[in-house]
Amino acid sequence: MSCSSTEDLPDQYKELFTQDGVLLKACIGRPISDLNSIGMLCVVQNSDGTKCIEWRPNDLITIDSDTQDQEWAVVNTIGRRQRTLSGNMTSDYAAARARIVRIPLAELKTFKVTRNNQQMQFSTKSGVWQNTFYFQHGNAEIFVAYLKNHVKTAKTRHDRNTYVVVESNIDSQALNKSFTELDIFTENTTDVVWSLVSNFKQRPYETTMEAFSKLTDIVWSVLVYYGNEGLNGKRDVSEEVADLLTKSMSALEDTTSITKSDEYEVITVKPTLPPRPCIPRGTPLSTEKWEGLQDTEGRILEVEGVKQLIFRGGVAHSIRPAVWKYLLDYYPWRSTHSEIRKIQKRKTEEYFSMKLQWRSITERQESRFSEYRERKSLVEKDVNRTDRSHPFFAGDNNPNVLLLQDILMTYVMYNFDLGYVQGMSDVLAPLLLLLGNEVDSFWCFAGFMEKIASNFDMDQAGMKQQLLNLQQLLTFAVPDLAKHLASKDSGNMYFCFRWLLVWFKREFSFSDIMRLWEVLWTGLPCANFHLLICVAILDAEKDVLISKDYGFNEILKHVNDLSMCLDIDKILSTAEGIYHQLMSAPHLTDQIRIILGIPTAANNPNDRNEESESEDLGDEEPGRENARNQANGYTRI
Amino acid sequence: MSSRKKVLLKVIILGDSGVGKTSLMNQFVNKKFSNQYKATIGADFLTKEVIVDDRIVTMQIWDTAGQERFQSLGVAFYRGADCCVLVFDVTAPNTFKSLESWRDEFLIQASPRDPDHFPFVILGNKVDLDNRAVSAKRAQQWCQSKNDIPYFETSAKEAVNVELAFQTIARNALAQETEAELYNEFPDQIKLNANDNNRNRDGDNCAC
Ligand SMILES: Nc1nc2c(ncn2[C@@H]2O[C@H](COP(=O)(O)OP(=O)(O)O)[C@@H](O)[C@H]2O)c(=O)[nH]1
Ligand SMILES: [Mg+2]
Repeated sequence: MSCSSTEDLPDQYKELFTQDGVLLKACIGRPISDLNSIGMLCVVQNSDGTKCIEWRPNDLITIDSDTQDQEWAVVNTIGRRQRTLSGNMTSDYAAARARIVRIPLAELKTFKVTRNNQQMQFSTKSGVWQNTFYFQHGNAEIFVAYLKNHVKTAKTRHDRNTYVVVESNIDSQALNKSFTELDIFTENTTDVVWSLVSNFKQRPYETTMEAFSKLTDIVWSVLVYYGNEGLNGKRDVSEEVADLLTKSMSALEDTTSITKSDEYEVITVKPTLPPRPCIPRGTPLSTEKWEGLQDTEGRILEVEGVKQLIFRGGVAHSIRPAVWKYLLDYYPWRSTHSEIRKIQKRKTEEYFSMKLQWRSITERQESRFSEYRERKSLVEKDVNRTDRSHPFFAGDNNPNVLLLQDILMTYVMYNFDLGYVQGMSDVLAPLLLLLGNEVDSFWCFAGFMEKIASNFDMDQAGMKQQLLNLQQLLTFAVPDLAKHLASKDSGNMYFCFRWLLVWFKREFSFSDIMRLWEVLWTGLPCANFHLLICVAILDAEKDVLISKDYGFNEILKHVNDLSMCLDIDKILSTAEGIYHQLMSAPHLTDQIRIILGIPTAANNPNDRNEESESEDLGDEEPGRENARNQANGYTRI
Repeated sequence: MSSRKKVLLKVIILGDSGVGKTSLMNQFVNKKFSNQYKATIGADFLTKEVIVDDRIVTMQIWDTAGQERFQSLGVAFYRGADCCVLVFDVTAPNTFKSLESWRDEFLIQASPRDPDHFPFVILGNKVDLDNRAVSAKRAQQWCQSKNDIPYFETSAKEAVNVELAFQTIARNALAQETEAELYNEFPDQIKLNANDNNRNRDGDNCAC
């Protein structure tokens, strides 16, 4: 069962929500030197159960990870950090701690969101804004949405950006306590469900959102657990839970939907995903910027920074040939001009010696070498039907089609175990179109294949795994669609096979696929971002698929027919929005964390520190920031 | 049986990569051949209305990728098929040799109710080319040995025999579908009779 480690540690101080990259702009009673520093804005719960908004400067966090051997330690988990503190602090640390800003929720009177949703001001006394924060990454939407789970607010009549707190700390303490006492993750699960049920039974139904989200967290995992494992003959327990939840949650119609079915899935709790932030795309990495990023000898040192820029806006077409060679690991980022010349020379020789290997097979040899013959004919057949409508590959005896053939045949020699698999010619075509050169195209192709080799496994295990992971992500991010698909025999997501096999090559024009691929090659903001691209596309089609009650055939047809009708910028932006939604979802499961390559709740915190140390970065401070930003899902622009 | 009832016939086209499955399907449905078709990735289908014995039926023709490693995913689409079309390239003997395993694989994966009498049709494609390597006689012999499977020699490129082949496919699929319906309505008595009819028809319609 997935659970957070927060629950089972004695320390009561808990971070409920954190947002990175928040600048302290103004704070009454603080020296100017404290202002304009960057930090993290959190909602935390103190040991007495009260909550406050807390802003912490980043240098405090830096110290935390530097001093693991201190008596105090900081345990980092995604979105939840907790600490065990004792008296032995360094003076730096104490000084940094003094700069923490705290606003108890019980005292919060008003807050205001301005400047394009990027600035938030708080007041605990009417007439004065005590604190101003600026959200550098994204905006305050998610924070506000989260805050609204804890305080009941009303908007003022004159100013739509100002919220007045009408009731603070709306959750009942008693309810909170009962959950702690349940110790839900250590006991026999069935007992836990029962005690949860009986506790819940006794609670008044004016359950708040906060209580609800807590419950969802637990009930969700319990249900998911049972859903997967079966109930070992104790199905009645989950039905009882379902019944109770049906009764008690009727007040929360917006967030839950309960459906009865004879099968195992008796209840669907619509996960309380935070609102999806709308993140605008950036401009492509320009020639000037690219040149500026290289030192005098041509090295690129700010690798993470470059990747961030590319993730945000792609690459200007004119410098794509240069930049792609780095993105596809043909050139190491830190190589100098002269090193690159050496690499080119070596790789050219290597390419032609592999090419010679198959070129020198005589016809008579070939006649006795069926495996080779079959591969060759497979390649031949495929290059002859690869993007032939594009002028670059059109017409009889087109030399570029021959180049495709030569590169793919050489790839067969380069990776004989894998050989040629259908789809590879599609992957190669845009690379050759862009780079024009046989050797460059080959090595960039080989680099791309490194990233997607498992798509072409003989046993198709890689594809099956991805289809499964996609289904899991969709279930979490767009549950109603996932449910519809499952009910139409399409839960296996086979209709996305083409998307995944060749990374959407068949769905977009050449110029759009170049944009999409370069963004995906950055590996940002998380692993398997291409699966979130799938989720984004499907999310946009959700209404059609559900409202028209499409079945197995229609779903496949509809999805196939989306080809060349998709808006790449919109999809990238939606996918990133979904990513942020997932990252700030209070009920994010380990299953999803693993798919996206982010540390699970149970992960050893030291792993993360090592990770940030091994970051390939010149400058220490931004390095840490990047590592953390990435982990928290905020990309630095 | 009621002629007003809408009939959907599901047809699966199988065969090695490059034998011309996609081209045949497009020649039949859209009446054109293009050498700009892309290799099939995943699966797709086209539908076409045809008239069989004064009945309007809709053929839903499924096309999947041919490379063997993709077959484990293709099987999801076999279910409920009314007819299976096996294609080989008359200029490529290997593609002819593969027919047997395509047929077996289909029968295992689709598990039709009555595998011995499930309608198959074999198409030897690309007869417009002169480097022919599988003779018509050899192909016919094989088809006869497999319960008299109808065999057609086609060219998707030059639209040779494509219409005729798909008419037979539709007719045999319809027979299968009708039989399946009868079977469902009257589980026991009809079964044997219907099978016999089906078999005779297959034999009659062999176009070679
Ligand atoms: N000469 C000739 N070529 C054909 C014929 N049918 C298909 N082709 C070509 O054979 C190649 C593979 O065809 P395709 O329909 O994609 O095969 P599939 O992989 O079985 O779907 C393509 O280059 C077609 O243009 C035919 O009847 N005659
Ligand atoms: Mg095809």
